[in-house]
Parts: sequence; structure tokens; C-alpha cells
Amino acid sequence: MERLERFFLKRYIEAPKRNLFRFSFVFMVLGIMLSVGILSAGLHLFQGYESTLRKLLLDSFSHIGISSAYGEMISEAQYEEIISYTDAFPEIESTIPMLGFPLMAQKNDKIRAASLKAYPDMADPPFAKYISLGKKNISEGEVIVGHYLMQELNLAIGDTLNLNYPRLDQITPLGIPSTRSDFRIAGVYRSGYYENDRSMVVVTMANARELMMQPDGYSKIELQLEDPGRAAQLNHRISAILGPDFISIPWNYHAESLLRLVAMEKWLIFIVFSFLVLIAGINVISTVSTIIIDQKAEIAVLKTLGASRRTIHRMLVYRVGMVGVLSVFAGQVLGALLSWFVEHQSFYRLKGDVYFIDTLGAKITLPNLAIIFAVATALIFICIMIPLRQIDRMQIIEVIRNKH
Amino acid sequence: MILSARHLTKTYIDSDQTIEVLKDASLDVQTGNMISITGKSGCGKSTMLHIMGLLDAPDSGELYICGERVHSESKSAPMIRNRDLGFVFQFHYLIEDLTAVENVILPMLIAGNQESHARLKAKEILALLGLAERFNRYPNQLSGGEQQRVSLARALINQPKIVFADEPTGNLDPVHSNEVWEMIMNLNRELNQAFVVVTHDVEAANRAHKSYELIDGRLNLKKG
Ligand SMILES: Nc1ncnc2c1ncn2[C@@H]1O[C@H](COP(=O)(O)OP(=O)(O)OP(=O)(O)O)[C@@H](O)[C@H]1O
Ligand SMILES: [Mg+2]
Repeated sequence: MERLERFFLKRYIEAPKRNLFRFSFVFMVLGIMLSVGILSAGLHLFQGYESTLRKLLLDSFSHIGISSAYGEMISEAQYEEIISYTDAFPEIESTIPMLGFPLMAQKNDKIRAASLKAYPDMADPPFAKYISLGKKNISEGEVIVGHYLMQELNLAIGDTLNLNYPRLDQITPLGIPSTRSDFRIAGVYRSGYYENDRSMVVVTMANARELMMQPDGYSKIELQLEDPGRAAQLNHRISAILGPDFISIPWNYHAESLLRLVAMEKWLIFIVFSFLVLIAGINVISTVSTIIIDQKAEIAVLKTLGASRRTIHRMLVYRVGMVGVLSVFAGQVLGALLSWFVEHQSFYRLKGDVYFIDTLGAKITLPNLAIIFAVATALIFICIMIPLRQIDRMQIIEVIRNKH
Repeated sequence: MILSARHLTKTYIDSDQTIEVLKDASLDVQTGNMISITGKSGCGKSTMLHIMGLLDAPDSGELYICGERVHSESKSAPMIRNRDLGFVFQFHYLIEDLTAVENVILPMLIAGNQESHARLKAKEILALLGLAERFNRYPNQLSGGEQQRVSLARALINQPKIVFADEPTGNLDPVHSNEVWEMIMNLNRELNQAFVVVTHDVEAANRAHKSYELIDGRLNLKKG
């Protein structure tokens, strides 16, 4: 850096009020702050959405699900066999058998489709952390119901709910026979993942077997992994061991495309909002032009005294660039505040049936902050450079002749 | 010979007329010369000075500084302006946001000198020009004569071969005008500093060693 540049830079830093700021900077600063703020808030919220969704998908589903290749139940003996295989993998945290089937939940004249699940070990069920009301370990005759299913059927804890399993496999000319039974609601399930919250019904394994008239066997074996990111790879090895009698499906088989779509939407939002910064950049261009016109006498003097074109360019770039970078920082703070506000406001909630989840949470990550900073400053610096050509076209001699 | 201008011509073409400002203007400047140029308003004195100061280009003719042919558009022009030439204009052209000392150090900073060193030198020259009490004043806190002396200090700080002054006292009352002239004469005498001064003031012009009048696009020697 040349001495002259250093001299002016020092003045900007030491006495910014006198040397750095101009009234024409106000709109530039506001524009950058607002656009970067909106860009940041958008990205933070979408990032929050993405990671909440990912976490919920991981927590509410088995990382790898094993079922029979022929649509049959998995017998106790087959379950033991599977366990003997999965025990060999230290990456697998748990192997839990599950009985699950679709049925109808009925209260008075309202009927909803629901999805029943039962686990043999009710002392510490896998869904325990999502019980928002009531108890986790239910006993015979009790049921845990999803939050939105409760709402749709106008239910409260302590009410009775009729579960009704139509025997589609035994259709007769007289109709569809069904097993049905009344349960007392003992707990509410609320994970935040909308699909589960409006369909989940949990009863004890014994009750489930009665309803389904299925004395033994399981519909699915659920594996939970230490690192869900490796599900696909692990699944590959497991299915090779299991052979053709079983189908094993990793969680990302279904979820990955959804998550990819969400991630793509996130970057789309980022690009669209980056245009806001570009619009703020127009203010930067006009600010730099204004400075060049305002200070043309000074610029002419420096040129007369022998300052090079590059030095004069750089002095302007430093000056406006410093204000620009500070504005970007301020915008990032504003963005964090904005997303905090959106997270804590109560007049708008996500529609669960559209967005899968019903709460809006922001997530601020270092890489995202860095990307916002890099993109915003790059755009601003490009906008600073554009009007610099005016300096080169400026004839010193015209300026010197025309003072006063 | 530090500067030699040979057969300079300059023509301005306006929408309706062409003005031949310089037709065949030549001037030699030697070390320690004190040269004045007078002439009617609009005859081309400033134009001549700007061309010699590498701020403007002639239509034809040659310019040599220290024996080397130079041109306002050449790459070395900014460096020559910084190192070998000094300028004082009718209007002071100080930077309003900088103090007297800070204005004076600019040419030294551009030349790549350290700021602390430049400040010492600037104070020395300002003191020499009677501005010891005014180091940290901003231009708008100085009188017209003082502002012009600060410009003079700025023109001198890099010890240029020639200082060009375009009506340096044109904006000053007789008292301040005289003060600045005394300064210039002193610097010429004591430091052997070469000056080319454009002025309307014929009496002052006659104090120079060599006095030229610009008539009809040519420089005519009147005295010396
Ligand atoms: N860019 C330009 N376009 C057209 N004509 C110009 C231009 N610059 C200068 N002139 C003309 O050239 C002539 C010489 O101008 P110059 O400034 O050199 O005169 P001067 O002798 O310094 O006058 P003064 O004593 O009033 O300062 C003037 O007639 C002026 O109008
Ligand atoms: Mg003039």
C-alpha cells in the first residue's frame, strides 16, 4: 500500500466522523443493511427449517427398517436371527421390533385414518421424548394419540377413543368384518413432524395383537444408528447379509429427496434475496459517483501533485468499502435479530400440512454467515468499481480552470 | 537547462470558432531563473503554464525537462509532476479536510516518504514561510495570503526543479499580495529555486530576472 493511501486510511479510521462519513452514505448504508438483513434472515430461517426437518425425520423414523420381502409378519425366530446379525455391527445402537398397521380412530361420528404402533418394551419406548402431555409408558386399555389427531377429533386426556381395524383380508359379501375396542387416552404425542402428529396411535403390544388378531410376529424391525448419515452404506452391507427374504430400507430412501428439495429451495431463496443486495448496490454506485463529483477538486489536486490513477481509485475503494463492509456486518446483526423475532413471534405459524413441520426456527451457522458476507461484499465492491472510470475520464485541467 | 519548451501550439475549437491560443511559443528555464509572464486576459498564459507543467498537451511542439522529451500523457508524467515540478494556482486548491501541515506533506507521501519525516519537513518549510503558528489550522481557518503560502510550501516540499505559479496573488489584497511576492523572491534568492510566474501585475513582473509578454501566441522577451 502506498504512503498516501495509508495516510488517508489512517484518517478514516482515527476520525471517521470527519473524514469517512458523508450524508450521501446514509441511504447506501440503509440499503445494504436492510438487504443483507433480509438475506440473512431468509437464509437463517430456511437453514433452521432444513435442520429441524432433518432432525425430525431422523428422530421419528427408524434409520433402517427391515421387513419381510413377501409382505408377511416377521416371526420371533426371524427376529432373533436378525438380532444375531445386527449385534455384529457396533454402529447399530438398537434393534427394536415393532408391530404397526393402519386403522381407523373413531370418536362419536368422527372417523380418522390413523397409524398404530406398538413396541414390546413399553418401559422405555423410542417415542418417549415426544410425549408432550400425559404418561410415556401406558398399560393395557390405554392409548397415546397424536396431537393433531386429538384436535381433529376434539379429544382430551382421559377421553375414550375407539380403534377399529378393518379386516381387509377377510372381505365377505356381508361386508368387512372388523375388530374394535375402546381405549382411554393417557398421553399426547407431539414431535413437530406434522404427518406423525396427525396419525400416530400407540397401544401396548398385547392390545395391538388383540386388535389385529395376530398372536405373534412383528411387522418391522427398526434399527437406530449412531451416525444416521451412514445409513445407506450400512444398509447395503446389512441387506447382503439378510438375504432375499428381507427388505431393508434406509431412512434417506424416502427423506433424502425431500431434504434435497428443501436445500435447493434454500439456495434459490438465497439467490433471489441476493438481488436485493444488488439493488442496494445501485445506491453504492450513486454514492461513489456523488463522492467523485463532490471531491473532484481534491482528486484533481492529488493528480496534479502526481498521485497515480490507481492510488486515487484505491483511496475511494477503501473509503466506501470500509463503510460498505461495516454496513454488511450491521446487516448481518439485523438479520440475526429479524430471525430471532420471527422465531419468537406468535401471530404466524407454519401450516403443518404444507410444510411438514409447524414451528419456525432459525439456525445461524458459521458457513452461512461467511457466504452471506462474501456474496454481499463482493457485490458491493463490484458496484464501487463501476463508477471509478469517471475519475479516469475526468480532465484535471477542466477542474483546475473552472474553480469558483 | 531544466526546461525547454519549443514551438508550442495550441488551438481550441469551439462550436462556432477556432481560437489559436499558442502559435509558436518557446521558453527556456535555467537553474535559479526567476521568470515572469504577463499578457492580456485570455491570451493563453495559463494554457502555456499548464502545458509546461504536464497538465495539458500541446497540439504540436516539444517539451524537454532536464533534457528529456516529455508529454502530459506519458507514463512518467505523474512522477515528473511530483518530483520535478511544483504548482501554485490562483485559487489555493488546498484540501479542506486536511490541516496546513497535512496539505503540505501530500507530495512527499506520493513520492513514498514516511509520514513522520514528511511532517518534520513540512513544518520546517511552513516556518520558513512564516506560518509556524498555523501548522494545525484547516484552510478555512487561514487568511487568503496564508492559504497561498501553504500552497507555496506544498509546491516546494519535494524540492522541485521549477515552481509554476499562475497568478498566485491574483486573489489577494495589495498587502497580502506583496507578502507572497516577497516570499517568492526570497526563495529564489536564498534557495536558488527556479520560478515561472504568470501575473497581471506588471510592476511585480519587472522584479523578475526575465520578463516575457505573451502576445499573439508568442512569448516576447521584455526584460532580461
Ligand atoms: N477548453 C477550452 N475550450 C475552448 N476555449 C478555451 C478552453 N480553455 C481555454 N480556452 C480559451 O483559450 C484562451 C486562453 O485561455 P487561458 O486561460 O490560457 O488565458 P489566460 O491568459 O490565462 O487568461 P487570464 O489572464 O484571464 O487567466 C481563452 O480565450 C479561453 O477562452
Ligand atoms: Mg489564466
